[in-house]
Amino acid sequence: MESYLLAIAAVALIYVLLTLGLNLQYGFTGLINFGHVGFFALGAYASALLSLEGVPLVLCFLAAALVPALASWPIGLISLRLRDDYLAIVTLGFSETVRLALTSEKWLTNGVQGVPAIPRLFAELGIGRIADYAVVAALLLANVVAVLIMLRVVRSPFGRMIEAIRDDEEAVLALGKDPARFKVQVLMIGAALAGVAGAFYAHYITYIVPEQFVPLVTFYVWMAMIMGGVGRISGAIVGAALLMLFLEGSRFLRDFVPGITEVEMASVRIGVVGLALILFTIYRPQGLMGDFTRR
Amino acid sequence: MTELKRRGFLAGAAATGLVAGMAPGLVWAQGQQTFRIGALNPVTGVGGPYGSGMQRAILFAAEEVNAAGGAGGRRLEIFAEDSQTQPQAAVLAAKKLIEVNKVQAVVGTWSSGVSLAVIPLTNEANIPLMHCSGAPALSVAPANAKNMGWRFQATNERFGKAFAEIAQREGFKRPATMAFNNASGIGNTEGFRKAWEAKGGKVLESVVYEPNRPSYRSELQKVLQSRPDVIVTGSYLQDTTIILREWYQSGQKVKWIIPGWAANPDLIKALGPEVTEGIISVDSVSNENARSYAHFGNKYQQATGQPAASNVYAAMTYDMVISLALAMEAAGPKATTQQINAKLRDVANPEGDKVYTFAEGKEMLAKGQKINYEGASSVLDFDQHGDVSPNFGVFFIEKGQLNRRYVVAIG
Amino acid sequence: MEELAFYLNLVVAGVVEGITIALAAVAVTLVFGIARFPNAATGDYMTLGAYAGIGVHGVTGSLVLAGLGAVAATGAAAVAFYLLVFRKLAGRSVVAMLVASIGIAFVVRSTLSFFFGHEQQVFQVPIERALSFGEVRINPIDIRLAALALVTLAAVFAILHLTPIGRRMRAVADNRDLARVSGINTGRVMMALWLLTGAVCGIAGIILGLKTVVAPELGWELLLPCFAAAILGGVGNPLGAVIAGIVLGVAQELSTPLVGFTYKLALAFFVMLLILLVRPQGLFGRLEAVR
Repeated sequence: MESYLLAIAAVALIYVLLTLGLNLQYGFTGLINFGHVGFFALGAYASALLSLEGVPLVLCFLAAALVPALASWPIGLISLRLRDDYLAIVTLGFSETVRLALTSEKWLTNGVQGVPAIPRLFAELGIGRIADYAVVAALLLANVVAVLIMLRVVRSPFGRMIEAIRDDEEAVLALGKDPARFKVQVLMIGAALAGVAGAFYAHYITYIVPEQFVPLVTFYVWMAMIMGGVGRISGAIVGAALLMLFLEGSRFLRDFVPGITEVEMASVRIGVVGLALILFTIYRPQGLMGDFTRR
Repeated sequence: MTELKRRGFLAGAAATGLVAGMAPGLVWAQGQQTFRIGALNPVTGVGGPYGSGMQRAILFAAEEVNAAGGAGGRRLEIFAEDSQTQPQAAVLAAKKLIEVNKVQAVVGTWSSGVSLAVIPLTNEANIPLMHCSGAPALSVAPANAKNMGWRFQATNERFGKAFAEIAQREGFKRPATMAFNNASGIGNTEGFRKAWEAKGGKVLESVVYEPNRPSYRSELQKVLQSRPDVIVTGSYLQDTTIILREWYQSGQKVKWIIPGWAANPDLIKALGPEVTEGIISVDSVSNENARSYAHFGNKYQQATGQPAASNVYAAMTYDMVISLALAMEAAGPKATTQQINAKLRDVANPEGDKVYTFAEGKEMLAKGQKINYEGASSVLDFDQHGDVSPNFGVFFIEKGQLNRRYVVAIG
Repeated sequence: MEELAFYLNLVVAGVVEGITIALAAVAVTLVFGIARFPNAATGDYMTLGAYAGIGVHGVTGSLVLAGLGAVAATGAAAVAFYLLVFRKLAGRSVVAMLVASIGIAFVVRSTLSFFFGHEQQVFQVPIERALSFGEVRINPIDIRLAALALVTLAAVFAILHLTPIGRRMRAVADNRDLARVSGINTGRVMMALWLLTGAVCGIAGIILGLKTVVAPELGWELLLPCFAAAILGGVGNPLGAVIAGIVLGVAQELSTPLVGFTYKLALAFFVMLLILLVRPQGLFGRLEAVR
């Protein structure tokens, strides 16, 4: 049981990291990123491939942050010239392009065969509980660092600018500031966080293949953010925890509810995700941890 | 025997089974041990068309074992999970099965991605993983470092070899290939290419396509432009349906060699006999003539209302449970999981009397005889890597029927 | 000469692909232009239409009745979801609407897979050989489906431009506040919009179902090209969406000799991006204002 809980904790913390990044982009800045999984994938592949070349893991993780951040840079430049809601489609298209490239460029990514035998984190501790605890601890640390970075960003003059952008772009423009530059930077920070999450994922699961990085992952992160509370750091944590509780909880539900087949359960699971998205949007747009007075 | 009587007979048989199953149940109530098996199947995702049938087969195989009094004095208990055909979901499901349900074996993983992600966990827990994945990497270390991975499906390479054998035997000279862009699809066509080139042949054109397109017309045009006499595919049902429909519309004459999971009764139902006439469907349906297959087929029909031929993987998962149970029986009541794992070859490989059901095997083992379980999915002889080499049935679709013409054996 | 035929056939393939997704793009663009958000449930409305169509076709054997059944089912579903969800979100951000539409997409898909399973279903219609024009092949069914798409498009145009409710829809698309101030009942306009969108999705579902095989993920998988076509055609511009769909289809098919077949989706996406950089309003601009 312990090791299973640790596994859930690890995956949940990976989702927290993803949600934090998205929350910075959308919650604080209003950037509609529907391609989060693309940055996640880039981080996972960057770190996995480098580590298999014998690069120290610390540098691999650094690369996992840098590669997606750099990839998001041109996207930001291009799409910020377009309408706000186009960014959703541009990023979605980007993440699908990443998936196709990972599938097609065999020389680099081993294509559809995937990348097996990725080194684990803390492999020197062996395989087992101690190593699992170490991984969870590292993930906790990464999340704390991410929160600190976000707090710095949010509370800096830069951050106040960000909130101003979200609330009233024209006012910022009138002040002679360039919101586009800030937006690009925020997009890059969020992408870097997703990339680090990807690195943790790759070294935890130890096997990655392009078909793992489908848009559904992005929607799960959106669901976590919306349930937890858009624009709240605590919301990312609560939201990701709820998401895992729901995704994993449904396994146990089936042990107790006889008469529903696994196929039907899968349908029910997706249906409940949908219903949660609808109900939260209508009745609790501020999420569970959100500001109760604002709507 | 009329249809009605037949049904009555089957129902009667089921009822007998039930009674037989209940009597030992009373004994178990007084502190009988159980052996826990995790059924980790692709119920949703790409494997969706097969997953639930695989799971049903595991369940009725366990019922069959329990009805025969259990294996090695233990009753089988199944815990079922959906792998969602996704490594991440499968890893969590496997952790749950191993940690929470304390399963002593995981059976029925399907896609190579899932099996490669799960096998480090089963190795770590020192329990066997029985899978139907094609990737060659699963045969050797690191994935199979502990020799606790058992493959009940032919490797992609063996599939490719079989395709080449068949193409040669049918006298084709100018093959081309089309592959779904995933490990299994490309594995089949690349396996074919290797084997065909080893025979001194040349593949005229190879196209890899992304799934979920509304049309594959330009992919087809590219392949047909090379004027092949046969197109070998590594494809699935949905894309094959669209591709064949568009090929028929094009009017160009060519033959097809298609894996059995795509060229199945559903394909014929979707396209009709005229379009599908002459298609060669290749499947690792090895043991169609064995009693174990008929036995399984009956049960599968009863449980799902579908013919056994509609789901080759269900026979594999059925064999997983039966062979595991026979190994348990051979290893005795106190055996550890490792000892049971070590017995698998003993009960399934040659030099032993052939048995076709769990009950037969149990009886022979009780007499102290060596047995060789002949599975429903294949003769089930494991090589040094824990891989089976099923024979390949070669089916021709004729007037809307899949007719088996011959069998190809790959060493 | 053979070379030319090869490319002409690619163009035909691209046009057919474009037409297959064109009506879905029309549905996206109508909602995007008038209700002002990208409706991610469009794909699953199509899937619903395809299932309804197959159901009716299986019972009656009539494709016309199947089409009517699909239109009725998706029209009803679209209106119901408007009343239950989108109406409650009036005045909220684009993202709220978008996220809710993703939720609806999941609900529709899971309901379909719950009741009908994941097995593929097909319209049982005879398969005809293509007509040959020299080396260039055109399928009779594609001609019929193209005609159906054109008729539907014409009907949408007629409704938007020749009826009072269409005029009001365009007014709302142009400036919702102004429309409201001038006494237009936006609630009724929205009802009409969703009914129209649902109907278009129903026909799109039939077209898609006839071209491909019907499974719960059918429409969802095609959402990205539909969005791309809608944006490229100019949001709110139905004709633009159709033309853009065809442009994207032809571009991606013609690219295959150069970049292979696996990058099709990415290529469509890049073509969209490039054109948008030059013309941010899309190829044809927004639905024109009411004068």
